[in-house]
This record gives sequence, C-alpha cells and structure tokens, in this order.
Amino acid sequence: MQKTEPIDSSQKPIPLSLILLLAVAVHLPLMLMKLPLKSYDTNFHIFFASHYLHHWFNPWNVKWYAGFSQATYPPLPQQWIAVISPLFGLEMGYMVVQFAAILLLVVGVYRFSRLWVSPRAASFAALATVFLGSESFLVYSAGQLGTTSAAPLYLNALPYMYVWVREGGWRPFLKATALFAAAAAAHHATLLFGSFFFALPVLALAFLDDRGEKPTVSGFVMRTLVIVGVTTAAIIVVLLPFWIALIHYPVTQTPIPHPSRANYLLSPQWGLNYFIVPYGALILALPFIFWRGSMVPKLRPLLFGFWVAFMLGLGGTTPVGPILLRRAFEVITMERFSYWATLLALPFVGLLASELVSRYRVKAAGALAVAAAFTCALAVSWSTFHPADGGTLGIDSNAVAAWLNRDGHNQYRYVTLGFGNQIARLGRLTDADSVDGEWNSGRMLPELTKNGGGSLTNSKYFGADGLRALRAILMHASHYGLKWVIVRDPSYDPLLAFAGWRPVDNLDDKTIVIWAKDGIPPAQPLNAPQMPPRWQGLMWGIFPFGSSIFAFLVLLIPDKRREEEMEQYPVHREESLLPGRMIS
Amino acid sequence: MKRNGVLLALLLGAATIALIAIGTIWPIPSALAFAGGQGLRPAPTTPEIAVRNLADDIKTRSWGRAYGSLANKAEFTQAEFQHDLTGYYQSLRSYAELDHYDVRPLHQSADDAVIRLDLYWSTMMGTSESTRDVHVVRNGNRWEAEWPLVKKPVVPPQVIPVNYLRWDVIYPTGGDDWGEQGVEAPHVRIIDMHPVQRAEGVVILGELLNEDVVPAYVSVDATLLSKDQKPLGTEGSFDKIMHVLLPKQVTPFFINFPNAQLSDVGSIRMTPFSTLVPASADPVIGIDSQHLNPVPNPSLTGNLINQSGQVVNVAHVLGTFYNKNGQVVWVADEYVDRALLPQTPVPFKIHIPEDLARSISSERTVVATYSTGGSV
Amino acid sequence: MRAGLTILAATFAVAAAQPGAAQNLTLPSSIAAGSAFTVQTQGSGNGTLYIVGLGQAIKRDVQLGSTVFFAAGSLYGAGQYTVVLTGAGANETEALTVTPSPDPGAVSFLARPSRLPVGLQDGITGAVYVFDPYKNLITKPENVSFDLTGPDGKTQTRTVPTVLGAAWTELDSTAHQGNDKFVARIGSVASTRVVGQVPGDPCSLKMTASPAGQDVRLQTDPIRDCSGNAIPDGTIVTFTENYRGGESTVDVPIKRGIAQVEMPAHPGATISVASGVMMGNQIRWER
Repeated sequence: MQKTEPIDSSQKPIPLSLILLLAVAVHLPLMLMKLPLKSYDTNFHIFFASHYLHHWFNPWNVKWYAGFSQATYPPLPQQWIAVISPLFGLEMGYMVVQFAAILLLVVGVYRFSRLWVSPRAASFAALATVFLGSESFLVYSAGQLGTTSAAPLYLNALPYMYVWVREGGWRPFLKATALFAAAAAAHHATLLFGSFFFALPVLALAFLDDRGEKPTVSGFVMRTLVIVGVTTAAIIVVLLPFWIALIHYPVTQTPIPHPSRANYLLSPQWGLNYFIVPYGALILALPFIFWRGSMVPKLRPLLFGFWVAFMLGLGGTTPVGPILLRRAFEVITMERFSYWATLLALPFVGLLASELVSRYRVKAAGALAVAAAFTCALAVSWSTFHPADGGTLGIDSNAVAAWLNRDGHNQYRYVTLGFGNQIARLGRLTDADSVDGEWNSGRMLPELTKNGGGSLTNSKYFGADGLRALRAILMHASHYGLKWVIVRDPSYDPLLAFAGWRPVDNLDDKTIVIWAKDGIPPAQPLNAPQMPPRWQGLMWGIFPFGSSIFAFLVLLIPDKRREEEMEQYPVHREESLLPGRMIS
Repeated sequence: MKRNGVLLALLLGAATIALIAIGTIWPIPSALAFAGGQGLRPAPTTPEIAVRNLADDIKTRSWGRAYGSLANKAEFTQAEFQHDLTGYYQSLRSYAELDHYDVRPLHQSADDAVIRLDLYWSTMMGTSESTRDVHVVRNGNRWEAEWPLVKKPVVPPQVIPVNYLRWDVIYPTGGDDWGEQGVEAPHVRIIDMHPVQRAEGVVILGELLNEDVVPAYVSVDATLLSKDQKPLGTEGSFDKIMHVLLPKQVTPFFINFPNAQLSDVGSIRMTPFSTLVPASADPVIGIDSQHLNPVPNPSLTGNLINQSGQVVNVAHVLGTFYNKNGQVVWVADEYVDRALLPQTPVPFKIHIPEDLARSISSERTVVATYSTGGSV
Repeated sequence: MRAGLTILAATFAVAAAQPGAAQNLTLPSSIAAGSAFTVQTQGSGNGTLYIVGLGQAIKRDVQLGSTVFFAAGSLYGAGQYTVVLTGAGANETEALTVTPSPDPGAVSFLARPSRLPVGLQDGITGAVYVFDPYKNLITKPENVSFDLTGPDGKTQTRTVPTVLGAAWTELDSTAHQGNDKFVARIGSVASTRVVGQVPGDPCSLKMTASPAGQDVRLQTDPIRDCSGNAIPDGTIVTFTENYRGGESTVDVPIKRGIAQVEMPAHPGATISVASGVMMGNQIRWER
C-alpha cells in the first residue's frame, strides 16, 4: 500500500450541536403534527403505554386476546410514554419519546462512527442520520419505537465497550453495561442481533486497531468475557419476566406472512417499500461501501457487519434469512435489518461525504444535500403514498368506544373487522375487552395461534389462514363472551350473517355496523396460566425503567479519560484516501 | 494487502449477486407466496405452462396480463373476463382470492390441447372450487389459452310478485312491575339428533323445528359429558344451521367436536336457543333437479332458482341425508359463490363422505340466503 | 344521605342502649304497616327516640314524659323493629312488630306463556303475589280469582287461596285463536295480562295441481288447524316433486291462507306437500 498525501487536515467536523439543531428543525415539526400516528405500530405502543399508565406493576392486560402479558415485549419506551403522559398526554408523550430517540441516534451515530472514521467523517455520518431513510421509514411508516429507541442506546454503549476492552477502567465499563441493559429494556432483538452486527465488529476493531496502545490478548479476552458476562446478567435481571414468559411459552404459533420476507425483485412493490424507501440515495453509496470496506483493513469488520445485516434486510430476496435465522425468519420482520444495515453504513457514508466535499466543495455539498433531502422526503411522505392505516385513520374510534362503554355493552367482548391498526386506539379508549389484538407474539388463544393470520380485524388480508382464524374465534363466541362484532368492511357481512350474528346498530353515518349474536353469556375473565405473578409485575415495573434511570445517572459521571483518548487518536491515514487517488 | 482488498470486494460483490440470483430463481416459500405462487415467469412453451401462467396472473389479480395472454381475447373485453371470474353481481366471489389451483391435461395434439383448470377460491365462507376446461392453441413457439367465458346471464324482463310477508318485533319498554309480561321466545324443538364418530372427531347431527307461528332466530349448542357427567367440551352449530326459521320450518344442524372420541362420551346435553327476530318471507328459493350421485365422488347436485325479484348475493345450501329408516345420517353444506338472479338456475354440489353414501336413501335440502344490506 | 346518617346514628344508639332498664317506654307490641301509633315516654328532660328496622329508621327528639305521635304512613315496612329511647338518664330499648296491612294494595301477576297454541290443556299458568299498599307481602291466606276470557267471550274462572302470599293456577287454552284476557283479582285490586292463542299444527294439508305452461301449478286449500283456525301467513309449506332420477323442492310461505308454487312438470312425477312435521296429500302428475 503506497502512502498518499493527506488531504487538508485542518477541515473540522461539523459541530454536533448544529447537527442536533438540524434534527430538531427536520423532525420536530413532524412530531408536533403527530405524523407517526399514521404508521403501523404507533397506536400499538401507545396502547401498551396506556396500560402501564393505569397498571404500572401489572403487565397482564385484559383488553386484548381476552388477556395477555405485556411482559412479552420490552417496556422501556412505553413506560417512558406512560411516565410523561400526565404532562403531554399519551399521543404527544409518544412523540416526545420518539423525538428524544431521534436526537439520541444522532449522538450515537457520531460516537459509533468516531470508532471507525475521522471526526469530520463521523460528523457527516451524524448529519446523514437526520435524513436517513430507514430511520424516517421506521418512525413515520412502521412506528417501530422499540427498535428506533434501542438502537441509539446501543450505539452510545459501543464506544464505552471499545474503551473498556482496550484499556479497562470502571467508568466505561459501568456506562457500557448500563446502556446495554437500557437498550435491552427498550428492544431485546436489537441487543441480540446488535451483538453480531455491531458489537463483534467493534470488538474486532478494538483488538486490531493500531491507534494508541494495543491491548494484550489476555487482557482483551478477559475484559471481553467480563463485559459479556456482566451485561448478560444485567439483561437477564432487567427483563427476567420476559425471559420467563419466553421460556415457558415460546413463540410456536403458525407463522404469519409478512411482506418484508418477500423477494423484492419478484414483488417489486415490496422492494420499493422495504429497500428503495429505507435506503434511498444510500443505494448509490453501496459500491463505495463494498470497495472501501474491503480495501481498508480497519473497516473490514464493519463491512462484514453491514453485509450480513444488508443481506438479511433483503428479506426473501436471498436465502440468507432462512439459512441464518431458521425459524426466527418466519417470526421477526426484516425491515429492522435494513435499518441496522443503514446505521452500519453511516460511517462509510460519512467518509464518502467528507471526501466528496473536500474534493468537489460546493458542488458535492449541493448534490449530497439534494440526495439527503430526497431520501428523507420520500421516507417521511411514504406513509401518505403507501398508508399503513389502509385508510382507517378516519375511523371514529371515539364513537365506537362510547358505544361499547354505555348500556352495559362492555360486559361482553368485541372484535372489529376492517379497523386496521386503529384497534389499538379503540382498545385504549374503551372499557370493553377484545379477543383481537396487534401483538402477535403475546397472544395465546389457540384459535389465533393455530392459524397463520395476524390481527382478526385484517383477517381477509391473510387469505384462507386469516379467515380460518376468524371463523374459529367466532365459533367459540360463547366461550369468550364475544357478542359484538364491529364491522367497517361489508365483505365480512355474509360470514357474520350465516354464523348467526345480526346488525343491531350503526355508527359514524352508517359506515360502521355493530353486529350482535343472541344468547352469548357475559364475558368471564380467563384464568390463563400465562398471567405473571405479582413479583414479576413488581420487577417489570422497577427494573426496565430503573435501568434507563441508572444509565442516565452513570452518564453524568465525568469521562475525562475518554476525552483525552479521543484526542490522541489521529485520523487514520487510509481514511483520507480519495477514491481517485488510490494507486496500486 | 491491496490485492486482498480487491479480492474481498469482488468476493462480497459476487456473493451478493449470486445469493440474490439464487433467491430469485429458486424463491423461498414465503417469497413465493408474495409473488403469487410464481417465481420467474417461464415462457409458455407447453400448454400446461400457458395455463399455469394464466392461473398465476388470476391469483395475483394481474387482469391486464392475464387478458393479454389469451388467444381469444377478441371475443370479449377485459372487463367481461374479469367479471367472469369475480362475478357479475356482488357475491362471495367478489371478495375471494384464488388460493391455489390444479391443472390437468385432458387432451393434447401438436397444435391444440385441453387443460382442466381447477380453481380453489378462498372466500369468506371457506374454500370454493370451480373448474374450467381451457382450450390451448399453439401460436408459433408459444401456447395461448382460449378462455371459456361464461357470458353474463341475461334476465328477461318480467314481473315477479313480492310477498311482503314480514315480521317486526316491538320489545316492551321498561316498567317497574317485575311481573310485567315479556314476549315469549319462539317455541323450537329438536326433532332428531344423532352423534356420529368420524375420523376428525365426534359429530352431532340433527334437525330443529320452529313449531311456533313467529319467525325464530335459532342456534344449537351441545355439551359432551363424560361417563361421570363431567363436561368434555361445548361446541355450537355456527354456520352449519339455518339461523332464521320461519314458522314450521325445519333446519338441519351439524356440530363438530374435533379430536373427541364417542367412546369417552357418557351423555350429550343439547341446548337449543331461540329468540324473536324481525324476518321476511322473501326470497323464495326453489331447488330443482336434485340428484344424489353415487360413489365414486358421491354428491348431491341440483340447481337453485330464485323465485323472487331481488338478487340473492349469497346462498347457503344445507343438505340433510337420511337412511332408509328416515334417520339422519349426515348433514353437509355448500356456499354458492355466485349471485342468484331472478328465475336463473345456479348449480350447486354438496359433497358426501364416500363411506356414508351407500347408506343414504333420501335427502332434504334447505337454502339460507344473504342479500346485500339484509340478513339471513 | 340524611337517611343514611339517621340509620347510622340509630345503629350506634341501639348498640349503646341497655336492654331491660327502668320502664320509661310504653308502646304497642304490634301494629299494622302504615297505621298511626303512639309511644308514651316517662321522666323529664330531653331525649331522642329511635325506631330502627331492616329497611327503615326514624329519629325523633322528644320531651321525656310526653306522648310521641306517629302519623299514618310513618312506619310502613313490615318486620321487626327496635325502639330506643336515650338522653337525660334514659336508656331503654323495646321491640315493635310491624305486620303487613290487612288490605291488599297490589298484586304482581306472572302469566306464562304470552303465546300458545289453541286447545292446550293446562297450557296457561298464572301466578300471583299479593302485597299491601306499602308493598309488603301479605302472608295470611287470601282468595285470588283468576279469570281467563277467550276470544269467543267465554270465561274460565278459578279461585285459589294464597299460601304465604302466593297463589297460582293452570288453565286451558281455548279452541279459538285470538287474544285471551287473563285477570287476577283480589278484592278491588286486579292485574290484567294478555295471552295470545295461536293456531296449532296444520290438521289437513291438501293441495291441487293444474298445468301452467311447461310447469305445474300447485296450490293448497286454505290451511287450518284441527280447530278450524287459519294457519297464519308466513308459515312454511314444503312442496316436493320426485321424478325419475331427480327431485325438486320449494319452501313456500303461506299467503292469504294458502300456499302456491309453480314447479317443473315432469311426467310421472310424484308431488307431496308438508308443513313442519305434518304431511299432506300426494299427487302423481302424468301429463
């Protein structure tokens, strides 16, 4: 490898405060407009938060599936929404937590990128985070609060881990462990897969990096084992009710189809949704990522992490998903892998942007700005072009909830048909319980788990499987006290009519019809074995939320040593190589 | 060092392209499902492939491509082709999706072939089957299907009297006299009931009569009790019954207990339920040309004729099958996925289990109907 | 709220009172619900008089030594009461029994069913609970008269004594459809219910056949039950046509007393008619 002349080293990074200000300028208006409410899962998170607001220490929620445990889903962001909701309300509370996660991601990406690239490139990476298509896609179309709040915590933890395994010290150790535990409390899958995509490359970097003093092998191994062991123990404790639920009731239900597992070439509409929109202009950077990631040894671990996440994010386009994930491929959705892949790509993007701007100045800056703006705009507006709510946003959930709450209607359970993701909002507003829900991994009713359909309200979109599940639950209406079927899609009318239901009322200018079945006894609580005992409820109310408070407190501990360290690290010479100058 | 880098870049790039190619040429099942069951579309070099491509297009509702691939598209419009498959009037087929299909060659020569296409539609009421014999012709190196279009039925102008027989129910308003008189639920009676052990579990068959002079909403629940009188399970008739019975009308019912064993059952508690409901005597459906077809493929076939003036969007045919002693030996049903137009016969076919077919000597058929905006 | 506080105060008073103290309280041992009565007190000074029962409590400030008058309707719930006098050294308890008023004031009348076929023996059940004007169940025997007047104006009457406040009887439905007037009476108090008598099963179901183009027109005679009542419109009549290798059936509602339908004319076909479990005649169509 020949040495080349370094480019102007006096170029300073973009101040982080400026980038954060830009993030505020871009995302705060969207949050104040409550744009995420149009996404798939936002109402789901608010529904969970609503339960925590009223039953902080009891994760058993009877409003869905005739009773299910919320301890089957890490609670941190939802608990934060519940905590701040007295000030902001549940919906705006969600926006506040999501907005905080966006800001935290900017910081996390900067700090993570600093491990790999120069401060200036890292600042470009952080800047790119503001416009990242996958982030906007997950926030405004998918509503994946868990993933988007766990990732920044995780990214912020990694630099502490890097310092710890290289040099030890109680401060980075404590901070890394606390942030890892908080990230797990926000989203378990992020931590699980993040270990492979993010942590392993960072560990490899920590071992191979020639900046500063290299750690001894024994010290490196020992410190790695210690942090893995302590973090694992912390995560086990913080999420103990979750692990108990997972061990006792593993997700063995029939897989539910999800279009993120489609082949994006054979089903281009899903390719657009799960590849073009999340990646946006970042697609143009893919050749650079492959090339630079391969050419620079230091970046190779990052490239490997990116490549595996990238391949998994392609869903069913390649056989990688089913090979690596096995049954998990049929359970988890794949868009989160694209999200992680884009986060892993950001150091490369920062590097590319930094070099382009150094070389082409205003022209490059202009082109990059256009590309970033286009990427962000497409992802933000995607919820309008491809509405996640399927046109259900206009449903008058208040009217339905008011109907269920009056005249003793809430003595019986209900199910909606054609309500899309508004069932979470309705579930929050009404006192009545439902046999449906949106948290597939938490449901235990055999009628639902045996058939490969998602929410009953969307039964027909799951084809024969979905309709089988709906028929099965209607068949056992007496057992569940299921008297009301609230219909907004008349295609279900024949099924209800032949199954013995009849229309008894209508709402919202006759667009919603309430069907009832005579002879159904009032709903009785189901004495489910999945109901967590009281001590688990206490743990669930204390530890996950407590982990975030603890992480916040330990971050207040001054980190002088780390600051000095960062200053000591010179810009890696190969980072400053311009593509055109690379000579053999 | 640099050579290693180049090699790595090439390797990763090649692996990426190769894996995408593998995933596209041999898609995994979940990807295949979202692509409508087809991977890369093969050229129609055989009659069977031509029909498969056509069926795949129907499955993905690619009507333009399906219509464009037909050899006889000049004979009808794309809209007619689409309506032939989804129904000219609102019916179960309107909301159905093609779940899967089978193709069977019936005949083939150098220039033409006949392929039997069995289409299995996923409807609100379960799977509905339809069969078309598709004539396929050779056009150069390609084969093209000729779609056997069933023209839109033409209803001649006519005047059909309407019954206007209708019952409404007025419920008493609240009063403080606890002895106040309510409205009596209709009197219904189970006139026949038999438990049967089948491979899939215990089945309870029977008939229910509305012996009152008012219409009744009915349903039947059954509880299996063990020999020590402990409940083994409760199931209901769900849609295997006609829920609205006019005065003196009889409906069969069928209650299934999956995985139950009749040998474990000590007794059965039947719970018929009835209540007053508003109802109409219209529409009247005639059942014409009923035939009990013997084994193999035993079935009851016939035609439904809507004798009223209104369109019936969905019809549910319930057949009760008796042995020579007049005992109920089986109850089966079928949903007709085409709308019933006035005075226009629509065929139906109810499958009968082969092992029971020989013991059946007579049958009785009733029809429940659903019209848009109305109830059964 | 005030009544609740009174009951609470009275309860404490009862608890604090010493039974069997000096005779400061004179009152009747038993009164009829709603009747006026007096309580004579002894001594001097001010006191408080409580009368506490299961559903009612009365509190009065009294001048000891005076006679306390309770107007008619003051104490209306039948049952056992405790009378307590407290204050100015007085602390005494007595028992008071309130019996139902002897005059019936209301009856609760349950008549079942609301609708039944004609000619059914003991098909109509009437049950009565007798109450005084204050809704106390009168448990002493009273004679209740049940009158069932049929659509033809004929009346069946039963007189039944009450047992512990309740009386019941069973009556036959008559042969004519229409509404029965069912009256339960005790003294001047009466309650009326209406029982609908509806036709029974068709008694003779007979149809005739005539050609109608390529079809055969089938029409029943007016369909009646065994008492001659017309079967109501809307009742389903099933026509079944069996011919070589096939069968046709139609469920037809009766309209204006008859059922009619046109079915395909198959030479040699056997056509039958039925309604519910009642079979009618059979016709062989030869044309």
